[in-house]
Amino acid sequence: MRSSVSYILSHAPGESVMSHPDYAQHTQHHACLLVLVKGVGGTLKSFNKFWERIQRVNNIKVTDSTGQVRDIWVRYVRDYPVENNDWGDFQTHRRLLGLITLCKFTNQIELNEVCRVHESLKVKYSNTLYDSRAFMFGPGSNMKKPEQEPELYSLLTDDKVSKESSMSDKGSLPSEQPDSFSSSESFPHSITSTASYPQEENFTTPSNFKTHAMFYGESDPVPDLEQNVAELINSLFWVVESKRLERSREKLEKVSLLLAPFEKKDFVGLDMESRNNKKRCMGRVTKNLADLTLQAGLVADSLSLYHSAAEILKSVNDWLWLAAAKEGLCAASAILLYPNLRNPTTLQRNASLQESSPNKTKELSLFQPTDQFRKAKLTSSPLRNSKTSSPVNPPSELTPTSSDSIETSSRQSETDNADTESIASSSDIEYQSRSYLSSDIPSIPRQPPSQFNNQYLLNGEEIAEKYRKAIIHYSKYQNAGIIETEACFKAARIAVEQNNSLHASSFLQNVIFINLTLSEQEKIQRFDTLAELYKEIGFLRKAAFCQRLAATRQVSPNNPNPDWQRCYYLMLNSFPGHKLSLDPNYVIQHQVGWPALQIQLLQELVVAARRMGHPALATRHMTFLLQTMWPHLTKQEHRDLAIQLQALSAQCEGGPVPLVLECGAVIPPANLTHAPRCVWFGPRAPAPAHAPRPRAAEPAHGPFIFTPIVKLGSLERNAKKDEGKMEYFWVEDDICEVQMKLVNPLPFELKVSNMRLLTQGIVFESIPETIILCPDSPTTVNLHGTPKEVGELQILGYSTHTLGVKSNCRLKNMPMPNKFPASFSIKVIPSLPTISVETIVAPSGHISLSSVENVGTTTNVSLYNGESTECTIKITNTSNVPIEYLELSIQANMDNQLQSKIFQYSNDAILAQLPIPPNETASIAMKLYGEADFLDLGGGGTDNLFPNSLTSNYPSRVGSPVPNAQTSLPTQSSNPHTSLSSGLMANRTSGSFRSNNSHTTSWSAPISVMPPSRGRQIEAQLIIRYSGGKGKEEHCRQSTLQINLELLPSVSITHWDVLPAEIPSQLYLVLDVSNLTSEEMEFHYAPSKHILIESKESCRVPVPLDRCPFNTTTKTVEEESIESKSISTGASTNSLELMCSEHITNNTDLRWRLMQSDITGRASVKGITLSQTMLDIVRMSPLKWEVSLNNQCIKPQEEYNCTAGECLSLGVAVWNHLSRPLHKLCLSVQFYQDYNNGVLSYKLDNRVATAGNNKVVLSSLPESTKAYHECTVVFLTPGEYKIDIQCSTTEAILDDTPIIKEPDHPPIITSCAGEISHVWRFIPPVAISVTD
Amino acid sequence: MAVCVAVIGKDNSPLYIGGVGNDTSTDNELSRQWLVHTALDALEERLATTNTGNAGTNTNTARTDLRDLYLGLLYSTDTHKIYGYVTNTRIKLVLVTSSTSPSGSNIRDAEVRTALRRLHALYADAICNPFHLPGDQITSPKFDKQVKNIMMNNV
Repeated sequence: MRSSVSYILSHAPGESVMSHPDYAQHTQHHACLLVLVKGVGGTLKSFNKFWERIQRVNNIKVTDSTGQVRDIWVRYVRDYPVENNDWGDFQTHRRLLGLITLCKFTNQIELNEVCRVHESLKVKYSNTLYDSRAFMFGPGSNMKKPEQEPELYSLLTDDKVSKESSMSDKGSLPSEQPDSFSSSESFPHSITSTASYPQEENFTTPSNFKTHAMFYGESDPVPDLEQNVAELINSLFWVVESKRLERSREKLEKVSLLLAPFEKKDFVGLDMESRNNKKRCMGRVTKNLADLTLQAGLVADSLSLYHSAAEILKSVNDWLWLAAAKEGLCAASAILLYPNLRNPTTLQRNASLQESSPNKTKELSLFQPTDQFRKAKLTSSPLRNSKTSSPVNPPSELTPTSSDSIETSSRQSETDNADTESIASSSDIEYQSRSYLSSDIPSIPRQPPSQFNNQYLLNGEEIAEKYRKAIIHYSKYQNAGIIETEACFKAARIAVEQNNSLHASSFLQNVIFINLTLSEQEKIQRFDTLAELYKEIGFLRKAAFCQRLAATRQVSPNNPNPDWQRCYYLMLNSFPGHKLSLDPNYVIQHQVGWPALQIQLLQELVVAARRMGHPALATRHMTFLLQTMWPHLTKQEHRDLAIQLQALSAQCEGGPVPLVLECGAVIPPANLTHAPRCVWFGPRAPAPAHAPRPRAAEPAHGPFIFTPIVKLGSLERNAKKDEGKMEYFWVEDDICEVQMKLVNPLPFELKVSNMRLLTQGIVFESIPETIILCPDSPTTVNLHGTPKEVGELQILGYSTHTLGVKSNCRLKNMPMPNKFPASFSIKVIPSLPTISVETIVAPSGHISLSSVENVGTTTNVSLYNGESTECTIKITNTSNVPIEYLELSIQANMDNQLQSKIFQYSNDAILAQLPIPPNETASIAMKLYGEADFLDLGGGGTDNLFPNSLTSNYPSRVGSPVPNAQTSLPTQSSNPHTSLSSGLMANRTSGSFRSNNSHTTSWSAPISVMPPSRGRQIEAQLIIRYSGGKGKEEHCRQSTLQINLELLPSVSITHWDVLPAEIPSQLYLVLDVSNLTSEEMEFHYAPSKHILIESKESCRVPVPLDRCPFNTTTKTVEEESIESKSISTGASTNSLELMCSEHITNNTDLRWRLMQSDITGRASVKGITLSQTMLDIVRMSPLKWEVSLNNQCIKPQEEYNCTAGECLSLGVAVWNHLSRPLHKLCLSVQFYQDYNNGVLSYKLDNRVATAGNNKVVLSSLPESTKAYHECTVVFLTPGEYKIDIQCSTTEAILDDTPIIKEPDHPPIITSCAGEISHVWRFIPPVAISVTD
Repeated sequence: MAVCVAVIGKDNSPLYIGGVGNDTSTDNELSRQWLVHTALDALEERLATTNTGNAGTNTNTARTDLRDLYLGLLYSTDTHKIYGYVTNTRIKLVLVTSSTSPSGSNIRDAEVRTALRRLHALYADAICNPFHLPGDQITSPKFDKQVKNIMMNNV
């Protein structure tokens, strides 16, 4: 675009060059009247408000002399360099036409001063200024207008011609003009006359102050501000209009040459009268006229003028003015084509003239959707148009302020009306103007280009092309650089409007090439504007580039006053162009943009933030840099940046709070999650002793044995359940733990302090932790805390304080390689008590262990078999919650029966101690008893065979001592023939069996009975379940107390037998007792009898016992039946045996005492087995015999004597002690001789004679009745005789067995033989010795 | 001729940036990246206009030949000219010439076009590597060497 013949027509520097580019200029400003608004004097606090109000009056309508309504646009500026004013001839819109001052004064001196400033401003712009207004704000609320001569027009002393012409114009103005003047004149008067009565002070303006001034109090609302401004514009318009008319009436041949400021020297010495020069003059004047026409609101007219000017200037190669004409043509076309350029948004752009106005970015965002905006305007416009097309607005719309002037001419009121409307909405005005312009087709607000019927109207493409050419022409003049720059911007804005980004960018690109000697500030401004426009066309990267350049310019060494703050903000605004976001999480997630550039930018940003004196920001951005760019940085850079961060944070610590900038932007917190990096994070279940368990569920029973392995398994399951919801509970007020593994990726030691947990939900008190991490070695850290409420606790992450930066590291924002759930949620249950358990084993005091930590506590106790001891468990409540529930249970590898015998405690006693208040102790007494089976077979080294009893040859001990397991052996023994061999065998087999048994019982199977001969180890766990507080119904805690019980052998009963006692109701239990201890033992076997047994010695003791009563059996059997159910179904013998065994067990009281250590204990014969013979002895007979000889009762063990031939009367009475009648009893009496060598002779045919039946059959014997039989016997020869009296029945008797006294003897020789099944004998048999 | 060559992925991420810089102070990696990065805007805009065709008034200026992968001059600065080229898979190739050096200042459009075509071929060869993941940065030393060669050859 740059002309290759650049600078050909340029001049040497030193000329008056326009050096202040106005970057905010728009194409449509070509048609505007320029008015300067200036605050003078003290700062007016409502200046900005007034400024905005004035700005809204940017368009008024004026009806000209021919009745046409002119649409006049105004551009207000707050500052305008005088040099630019010099270009007013070149482009008339650069002329400053009006001046408005807002003055503040408090006293006369200040008033004088502001008047002077106002006048000096008038002088400053005197070349171009047509009119001015001064709004004076005095101290009082109502100011009286000082006396002064109102002066409508400033006397332009310099430009005498224009002054004169303007004066003459005024004279020649149409007749209505004086009306408007008079009204404007009278207006302030009317206000002051009504409102100035409470006047306090009188101020007088200096005599040289000749300006139309309005006086107000400082806080006055100034209702007529808009009206006054409109009037000023009105007056300005008329001047412009007059100028236009004057120019149009000039004779083209006589016009003087118009010059751009730097051209003055060019034409020195040139022939001004040449034809070429004439044409040049003509062209320039035409162009000037076109400018004025455009400003005066005749856009369509200006088109043709511009065109003809361009034609003329082209012919004379006047490039500069040709360019201006082309630009003017473009401007006029653009104004017609794109009326929305004059939209209110453009007003805001005017406002952005102020440098570094904070809302620049907002403007941009507003401005970007131009297309939609345009459409919306188009759709809404017909309605507006219909409204505004009504010729006269109803007077009711008049504002109260304008009602004062209601008497003034209707035209005036119409103008007023337009003004008030323009306040409400300037877009209304705009469409009014449209409707005026296209008055022939009023319903279409925006005309398609073809309908303007103007051959010179350019379409969009042509505008761009023309602009391009104009810029090329401008570029030929170095001094027109500013003009060219502005033209570029204007063209770019048009291109933006056309939505042609490439054109816009090419125009903008051209700006760079224009070599201007600009101040640093203006260069920055240029980049800033470039960035803005680039943003508008969506070239965000380009915009960012420009912004960064602007930022670097702000602080470049060439810049005399570097402004780090601006630099910072510019860099910050370039974030979107670098695809950066202020939110680190967004950046991490999306990973867009070019990291190298982003890193560079961020580093510069850090420097800028630091230099502008905001260390918090510097720290924040450095944290951001480290956090977001971590993957793109090398290890060395990590280190360097971390050290830099440390240095920065030394000035100001970084915290996880958003920072709010002065411009309102919020910098969200950046959290360092990379240093240290978390590789594992997980809450942990409470320690088993503290773990709450549901109370309802039974403790782990079931088919599984309780072992530690089960616990491990459950832990694993918990660990697997990492997906947020935790299976276990945490307890209120208890210390809870979260485990995490941290890695320090930096090559130096990293101190991380104040690590806490971030939680949500219930109140959680986190305990800060400080650690020092070595480089590159994973460290496990446990964070603790205490939940303070009941409910759901969510763990969101952790907070750290490292490198001087506090970070909240949330799990959901963790860097990628580690996938954590967004949060862990754990249920917190009400607080539960905690206990400490202490065990004291009382008298023997073997071992006692106490502990605070109540898991794995082991109590070791040694007991001799049969010994018992007291164990006290002291439970101390170590929490603040009372224990209201306590339950003991024992788990051991043995069956419940045995367990309850070894461990005896009372649940009632425990309950009685509840509740246990905090810090109180309750003690539970538990009795330990060395339960064992004292019957032993294989033990002693003595002979296995028990010595024959008085009545029996058989081994005392048959079968296994385990009554449950071996049922066959006792049954076998009922067979007399086999019992001997089986008995012999039994000693061996049962011995081996026993050892088997003992092996198995020790571990695999529940120990039911313990072998007495060796020590055994019992491992039991005392499980204490306790709870309290609010959650006691649902949860409890469990403590486990390990009790290792060692049972030492004490006594053992190796053999036993029973012997009949001297009286029928008693018997002797003969026991072989061996002392297995190493001490001498005192063995008590009867209430008054005891024996001393040496260590490892054996002794035989008789224990007197009552015989097992017949009647009591049933109950005991029933009791036993629960245990021995499986056996009793088999044979009735067993239950009987059990009954007897039970009887013996219950009635023997065996005690022992160790002489040395004074330990006492008991022994029992529980589980004793009895053979059939023994049973007969043990049991009482169901029939009671009463035998009498010669009516003399026979006593047991008594021998009866008589002589041979003597007649003896034998009486036998039988009582039935059974609970039922007996039937078909056969009572028989037999005589025999016992040779005492085992031979019994029943063949006594010739030795005994009997009279009466020796055999009677009783058909029935009811219960508890007596049958009596008597017979007479005579012994014929002397000798020893015995009488065998027996009673037998053929009836089957359940639950009873016949007593067979001599099992080897075939018992039945009776008449009622055959079906005899039960035989009772009278024992001992009656012995009679017969003498001669 | 060329001072810098860049391959840019379809998501505008840099795949490769190579340059020959005799003057390390100004032609360093970072400034090259700035140059190429800012060219992306113009590049994208051209692609957009090529695709949408003739929107609005700019009928005549729209890209005429859709099959032409060469986009021409994207923009120029005081010291550099930036040319663009887009493959059918939207991989952007950017070539930066120095307008200050005598060889680069009066370079012809056709030269740039051929250079970019050759670069395209090289790129295609480079990603034929079965171990190369599309979208990753190109780290092949061979590619680097050949690209440098192109740049040097034309100087």
